[in-house]
Amino acid sequence: MLTNTKCECGHQNPVGTVLCEACGLPVQQEVAESDGLLEMRYEGAARRSQKSNPKLLDRIWNFFSSVKVAVYLIIITLLLSILGTLLPQVNVVPSYDPASYYAEEYGKLGELYYSLGLADTFGSWWYKGLVLMIAASLIICSLDRIIPLYKALKKQQPVKHETFLKRQKVLYIGEVADAESWLKEAEEAIRERRYQVTREGTSLLGEKNRFSRWGPYINHVGLIILLAALLTRGLPGWYMEQGFSVNEGQTVSIPGTNYYLKNLKFTEVKEVGPHVSGQELQFAFETDAILYRCVADCNNPFAEPQLEEVLQHKIRPNEPLKYDGYSIYQIDYAFSPQATIMTLNVLRDGQPIGELVLNLTDPAPAYQLGDVSVELTGYYPELTSVDGVPATKSRLPNNPAFILDMTLADGTTEQYFVVPFQQYQTRISGAEDSEPLTFEIGGMEASFYSSYLMVKVERALPYVLAGALIFLFGVVIGLYWQHRRIWVRIDGSRLIVAAHTNKNWYGLRDELAKILDKTGIEIDAKSLDNSGVGKS
Amino acid sequence: MARNKWVQLTILAVIIAAGAFTIGANLSKTPAPKVGETAPNFSLYGLDGAAYELNDFIGHPVVLNFWGSFCEPCVREMPLLQKKYEKYRDQGLVVLGVNLDESTVTINNFIRGMNITFPILLDKNVVRKQYGVYNYPTTFFIDEKGVIRQEIVGEMNEGSLPSHDIEKAIKRLLSG
Repeated sequence: MLTNTKCECGHQNPVGTVLCEACGLPVQQEVAESDGLLEMRYEGAARRSQKSNPKLLDRIWNFFSSVKVAVYLIIITLLLSILGTLLPQVNVVPSYDPASYYAEEYGKLGELYYSLGLADTFGSWWYKGLVLMIAASLIICSLDRIIPLYKALKKQQPVKHETFLKRQKVLYIGEVADAESWLKEAEEAIRERRYQVTREGTSLLGEKNRFSRWGPYINHVGLIILLAALLTRGLPGWYMEQGFSVNEGQTVSIPGTNYYLKNLKFTEVKEVGPHVSGQELQFAFETDAILYRCVADCNNPFAEPQLEEVLQHKIRPNEPLKYDGYSIYQIDYAFSPQATIMTLNVLRDGQPIGELVLNLTDPAPAYQLGDVSVELTGYYPELTSVDGVPATKSRLPNNPAFILDMTLADGTTEQYFVVPFQQYQTRISGAEDSEPLTFEIGGMEASFYSSYLMVKVERALPYVLAGALIFLFGVVIGLYWQHRRIWVRIDGSRLIVAAHTNKNWYGLRDELAKILDKTGIEIDAKSLDNSGVGKS
Repeated sequence: MARNKWVQLTILAVIIAAGAFTIGANLSKTPAPKVGETAPNFSLYGLDGAAYELNDFIGHPVVLNFWGSFCEPCVREMPLLQKKYEKYRDQGLVVLGVNLDESTVTINNFIRGMNITFPILLDKNVVRKQYGVYNYPTTFFIDEKGVIRQEIVGEMNEGSLPSHDIEKAIKRLLSG
């Protein structure tokens, strides 16, 4: 359908124009035929992409350019987000088999919830897709509106059609004796209220705080930055959150990084706080940690990784160890005493010949005690027996047992089976006639606490903050300032004054009444309200 | 208006690229391989000091067994695995035993006692997590193309329980 978009003032308007770009006369038929107040949104300018004959690209563009579509997208995302909060999400579920966890914990509903993919709402492709579509809609809606609005406001003409003025929400119609002198006074009065004034013949336009109109678009820019920043979480290395535990004295590889962390000591900090009862209150817990960088042999089980100390830090809640974009937080701890290193004194005929220092997590296979070489050929961290054969119940050194092959100075060999905690030892093989060696616990090292830490990377955070600040800036300029305009038109002795603002109409009427007062027109601010026009 | 069209195209292209990227990154996140999927590659050191890479065995059927000497059913099925290894080795069958983070002293002692001759790989919970193994033993049967054909969780047997029959699983693997 082709509509004539040429205004009677001679200006050729683009398709979709509501109010003539030049004189403000309604060009859209329905608007022209009614006589109610004018809808001043986007100055009545055509949305940028509206075309009389759209192609595929235009159709996609127009889809996202629709505010209606944007609202639907937001509502759908909102509803799905609500559903996503009904049950705990997979990332916090304490199970490695979420499918059966949901079925067991929440029954049929849980099963359905999981199978619909709602158990991982916020990490799912469709949720991210929706967020992206909202971002697309934000960009396209904004572009399609801000460009025509900017152009329309930039090329405003002071002379407006009578119809345009009479259909404004704030209106005064009266008579003036001398147009020229009245206009001079009016211009002064309007300028005094910090309006910028342009005059053309006997018409006048006063305008202030136009920047307030950019507020919504600035906050859209902020939102787009925010959404883009959140999407970067998908980039490798931009976002990570991993928990790990480290016992006292232990050095562990920090998951997902090239760093190692040693827990020197874990302390529960207890202080008598300002509590009325004066009871001992626990205030904090801390891990005294050393961060290492692995420089070589990082994944070689046969060699100790070569570590280079980076820094030492006491990790407390809210006082993470920060380095190279990584933050390591204290999240929990457990009291779980465990032997880590055992020293065995080896005696012959009651005389010590040396001590064996055994790492109970990963003991070395060979030792030298003076002229005796020792080979550790068997290690059961938690001794048990299966069908009469020694075996281990777990990987934790709760009841360690060792098989030790000793080669004595004279070349003879002996094999011992030692269970230190049970003070049990037996010589499996060796010269029957000699007195067996004895093994006694000489010392123990233990770890008492397991410290639970969380390593986090959130490289997008500065961008999220920047987006949020820009958003707030947009909100502030859009909310606390108002874009006000006053049009004056004098034909002969008849005076028409109309005004428009994007918010706070009461304030505008009041201001206009004060301006008119200065030019000698006394009028009650309320009577400037033209809202009743067209309604009978 | 040609300029506008290019602006539109560029903006849409950027949005589509961002979408393809995030959604693609999302879909490529596979938590644990399932039967019918390609077995994820890994490289581990063996107890013998050699480096092993799963993809080196493409062209061979592979039995990938996760075990620990602290796990009784793992210990019980070990002789069976060894027997099958000896029986089908000539037909190209590869058996890999991934140990669940035990000390080398413990593993060596166990292997010696059981006369195990297939390669034992040392894993510090990395490949175990990669394969989503939380119950021991777990055994994956991987065909010549590197596709997982069967996964058996729990102790395997010979003939008594069809779902856990190692002989049947290997036959299926060898027949292609």
